[in-house]
Amino acid sequence: MNLVSALADSPRTILQTLADTILDITQCDSAGLSLLTRDGQTADVRGKRFFWPAIAGMWNPHAGGGTPRNFGPCGDVLDQNRTLLFRHFERRYPYLLPVIPAAEECLLVPFYVAGEAVGTIWAIMHCDRRQFDAEDDRVMASLGKFASSAYQALIHIEDLKVQVSQREKAEAEVRELARGLEAKIRRLVEANVVGIVMWNLEGSITGANDAFLRMVQYDREDLASGRVRWTDLTPAEWHDRDERARAELQATGIFQPFEKEYVRKDGGRVSVLLGGALFEGSGNEGVAFVIDLSDQKRAERALRRSEAFLAEGQHLSQTGSFSWRVATDEITWSEQLYRIYELEIGVPVTLELIRTRVHPEDVSLIEKMKMVDQAPDGGKDFEMQYRLVMPDHSIKYLHAVAHPSRDQDGQLEYIAVVQDVTARRLTEEARDKARSELAHVARVMSLGTLTASIAHELNQPLSGIVTNASTCMRMLATDPPNVDGARETARRTIRDARRAADVITRLRAIFSKKESTTESVDLNEAAREVIALSLSELERGGVILRREFAEDLPAVTGDRVQLQQVILNLLRNASDAMSGVDDRPRELVIRTERDEGDGVRLSVQDAGQGLDLQSMDQLFQPFYTTKGDGMGIGLSVSRSIIESHYGRLWAQANDGPGATFSFSVPCRPDGVPGNPGLDAIRSLTAAIALQVMGTL
Amino acid sequence: MTINRSLVSVVDDDESVRESLPDLLREFGFAVEAFASAEEFLGSVYVGQTKCLILDIAMPGMSGPDLQRELRTRKQAIPIVFITAQENATIRPRLLKEGAVECLVKPFSETALLTALNTALRVA
Repeated sequence: MNLVSALADSPRTILQTLADTILDITQCDSAGLSLLTRDGQTADVRGKRFFWPAIAGMWNPHAGGGTPRNFGPCGDVLDQNRTLLFRHFERRYPYLLPVIPAAEECLLVPFYVAGEAVGTIWAIMHCDRRQFDAEDDRVMASLGKFASSAYQALIHIEDLKVQVSQREKAEAEVRELARGLEAKIRRLVEANVVGIVMWNLEGSITGANDAFLRMVQYDREDLASGRVRWTDLTPAEWHDRDERARAELQATGIFQPFEKEYVRKDGGRVSVLLGGALFEGSGNEGVAFVIDLSDQKRAERALRRSEAFLAEGQHLSQTGSFSWRVATDEITWSEQLYRIYELEIGVPVTLELIRTRVHPEDVSLIEKMKMVDQAPDGGKDFEMQYRLVMPDHSIKYLHAVAHPSRDQDGQLEYIAVVQDVTARRLTEEARDKARSELAHVARVMSLGTLTASIAHELNQPLSGIVTNASTCMRMLATDPPNVDGARETARRTIRDARRAADVITRLRAIFSKKESTTESVDLNEAAREVIALSLSELERGGVILRREFAEDLPAVTGDRVQLQQVILNLLRNASDAMSGVDDRPRELVIRTERDEGDGVRLSVQDAGQGLDLQSMDQLFQPFYTTKGDGMGIGLSVSRSIIESHYGRLWAQANDGPGATFSFSVPCRPDGVPGNPGLDAIRSLTAAIALQVMGTL
Repeated sequence: MTINRSLVSVVDDDESVRESLPDLLREFGFAVEAFASAEEFLGSVYVGQTKCLILDIAMPGMSGPDLQRELRTRKQAIPIVFITAQENATIRPRLLKEGAVECLVKPFSETALLTALNTALRVA
């Protein structure tokens, strides 16, 4: 019973209790245990020595000592696997001589655990007071069995102790680790780099750092009062998302980061990225980290808005853009360019696809763009016009500006904008047509109306003059002459002549109202403007225009508009002169150059029917014309204008076909130009008068 | 002056014409009556006696061609010589087609006028 209670009460002293029990039961002088050991302190069946973990009686002071496994009484017992009785074993194993008092008799019993010998128990008599007998042998045998159980219990307890100490060590390590982690987490919390919030599944917020409070604009007092609940911070439309996160938490203990919104204290919204986990073992409480996405959202919105602006801008201006890496044919289009090409947005763009749209006559442009690599002026921006043929056979006119550049590898890459100018082009064509028709009508009308009104105004008095003069002559021719009648008709003739003079005076007044303006005129520039105005008309007439403008042409002083009228007149004459030419190019050369002395010359050379030598001197006479529909006053007016600029206008037959009309004006005339309008009218009225005389 | 002289009527809004042309016509030997408007002529007693009408084209109110049509409506077959200060290439053939003898552009010569008058009176 002692043993059992010892075992239950104090496992550590069980071996000592066993030794005491042996001593008590056998009434011997010393009793103890020998256990196999490797380190001399703890039991181990693979040990090569025995040690004495517990001794009772006279040998008690030798507790902790021991004997070798293979040379000693205990080894003999284990080897023979039975109880042995020794007398004076120190005589056989002399190393035991120092162990006093010497053993008169020693009864040794082996004990086993799971069929394996682990040690012995023994009882010693140091005198001959009694001798061990069969009863002792039996008692010892049963104590040996108990020793086996005690040993097992001890080993088990040792194991438990090891396990306990290991667990304690592990727990200590965990505690240490936790202290480290806690410090780290605290640093994280206090750094306020991200918002950190502790919560439970009921909706409470049990803790939060300043970063989190700043996001939602609550303060510590709000938090302490318990008024702030994460369920209330979440807008209604995000409740479903929260539920998904809750389900995820319950399934896995964490929820993956997701974007949501919180309602701030002021009612505004804040976009956040939220991720978190349940605390281990709590099942209800957890922590979440929260990142404020406001800046990011703002940037995203700004980017989207800027993209939307760009897209809308491209849409409104009918402008698309593209990039093209020539070496790899990587082509990227803006949405608007897809719309212009009427292709589905997003389909991969290839040169083959582009070729299906580009007008066959313009396809060569693509090759030209590729050749920029070799071009001497490669690297300059360039503009081009090209056409698309749409599936319904309609034509689109595009205007592109391409900017070639080099990427890191030195490869050619284009960035280009493409504008759909179809509407503008059609408008321009219609406008050009209207303008040229209008110009033609105006030209005919203005000159026609002018001459008609001048003619009407002058014809009335002229008619009177002619009639009265005729009457007068007839009256004087009668016999006798009707002198009174003749005087009266002569008076009327004079009166009508005055009327005619009045008409001239009135005309002079009208035309002198338009003062000629004197300014510095760049003839090249003036000619370019006229060409721009006449280009469509010239093209319609099949005229090929060549410009040979001298550079650094000095400016002339004069009336820019009047000089342009002369240039326009010369261009039209040249174009008209070639209207019947079909066997050679209708080439028109407009040339500017410095003239001898201080002058500038502009020439217009045509390849028309040329000039008849006999008619050369008539060319500049009013009403001389070779055209079916011409008035024949253009050249005469032109000459008036040039002469009013102190210049001259002349014509020459070309060496080849056609004629060249030139004018030359001095750069610094000695006086101011006259009034060519008036001069022109003067020469016109003179011409009309001449015509009138011709009818008489 | 005898009653046998052929009556030439001149209709023109221009006073100088009404002043000078009748004198010349009288020198030619015609009897002349001048009117400032077509309406004035139609309202006069001379419509039936007129052997030749010298008629201005453009006048305020009824124009020369209007009068020409009106006379045809009234079955008055008076030869008409039109005169005008405004040369117009398209109107002349139309007037001649409508039955006018001639269309003279002012200022016209004495010879041209006489030729037209002779033609007119031959027609008559």
